Amino acid sequence: MIKLKFILNGKEVIVETEPSIRLLDLLRDRFSLTGTKEGCGVGECGACTVLMNGKAVNSCLIFAAQVEGNEIVTIEGIANGNELHPIQKNFLKYGAVQCGFCSPAMVLSAFALLEENPNPTEEEIKDAIAGNLCRCTGYKQIIEAIAESAKEVTSH
Amino acid sequence: MISSIEILTPKNLNEVLGILSSNGGDLRIIAGGTDIVTGLKQESNRFIKTEVLIDINRVAEVKGIGQANGRISIGAASTFTEIYKNQIVSKELPILKKAVATIGSLQIRNRATIAGNFVNNAPCADTVPALLVYNATIEIESINSKREISLQEFLQGPYITQLKKDEIVTRINIPVPPENFIGDFYKLGRRQAVAISRITFAVLMELEKNKINEIRIASGAVTPIGTRFSELEKFAKGKEVNNNFLKTLACKMGDEIIKLTGLRWSSEYKLPVVQQMFYQILRSATKKNL
Repeated sequence: MIKLKFILNGKEVIVETEPSIRLLDLLRDRFSLTGTKEGCGVGECGACTVLMNGKAVNSCLIFAAQVEGNEIVTIEGIANGNELHPIQKNFLKYGAVQCGFCSPAMVLSAFALLEENPNPTEEEIKDAIAGNLCRCTGYKQIIEAIAESAKEVTSH
Repeated sequence: MISSIEILTPKNLNEVLGILSSNGGDLRIIAGGTDIVTGLKQESNRFIKTEVLIDINRVAEVKGIGQANGRISIGAASTFTEIYKNQIVSKELPILKKAVATIGSLQIRNRATIAGNFVNNAPCADTVPALLVYNATIEIESINSKREISLQEFLQGPYITQLKKDEIVTRINIPVPPENFIGDFYKLGRRQAVAISRITFAVLMELEKNKINEIRIASGAVTPIGTRFSELEKFAKGKEVNNNFLKTLACKMGDEIIKLTGLRWSSEYKLPVVQQMFYQILRSATKKNL
């Protein structure tokens, strides 16, 4: 067991854990943050995406011990209290959520993109979500929702 | 949970070298983990005995990209995102940049590292053909030795390299290519994103009045390991670049690949694909001269 300290959704947390459990399991089982989903478990589907120091990463490929001192943001950390983040609102507005399994990760990938590039082209949006599989929407609504969110972000 | 593996997080290279020399159990270095964690999960033979993982993400000596004395030095644990965004790489090593962009997904590129790509010598490593045409050398250290060898020498056979148990790859060094060098990289996978490559080629050349003064040709996934094609390179040297010659060279590449891999059930399909792909990459590299 190791004692692990990191920033989770803006707050410093300390947890005792086995070093070789995955960040994905740490978030779901120890912090009950079940918005982070397990799909393939081998880094191909992106359902477990979280932000580590602002970058989208697969939480199924990171060991707990590697998180020490880093900053993690999950889907539970991006709304402002009860007020959804503009990307979340647009996902609802554009019908970008169907079964919902890919949505938390998809929103986080979009979030990381817009933080870095507030005015992305459609190609850049596609590249940012290329590691997030969605089997329902066909992606069109998701790309529209992200493009609309970018417009809102840049017009503010 | 992946059985009880111990994970060490050394803060500098000396600590890493000390741990590697301690001979305590089956040690492995981990950086991005995109190969090791999936390998452990799938109970790959390559990782099944792992007892201790050494995380090198906090080790400054294996990070960072710089340029000095005509060489570009890339830290072994530089992520593909760091390499892709680096200005030196963008300016001097466009073929490496293009190769890096084809790897995995953004989530993978944010974690996976350049040494992690070739240190296991998987045939499908996408940076290998690019590094081979750039004549990359790699620095390897252990607690009482330091050596630098060419990547070509380092890669010995599928999943076999020169790396000893107490050694770590610390940096990848590339001579700055002359400004007039032109080249290209192409990857063929089953789809565009998150695909394991089937065929990769890289080519780099210098033309003098349309004659090939120097050419470097390397393959990735299509051969058992990443390979330079010295006979083809010799054959092409001094020849004039025109459409007919590029076709001849592409056909010869097909022959070379068959020589290296032998005839397989897939050869009938693969041969024309290889020839066409190699022809296209030659054309795209020399498009201003045709």
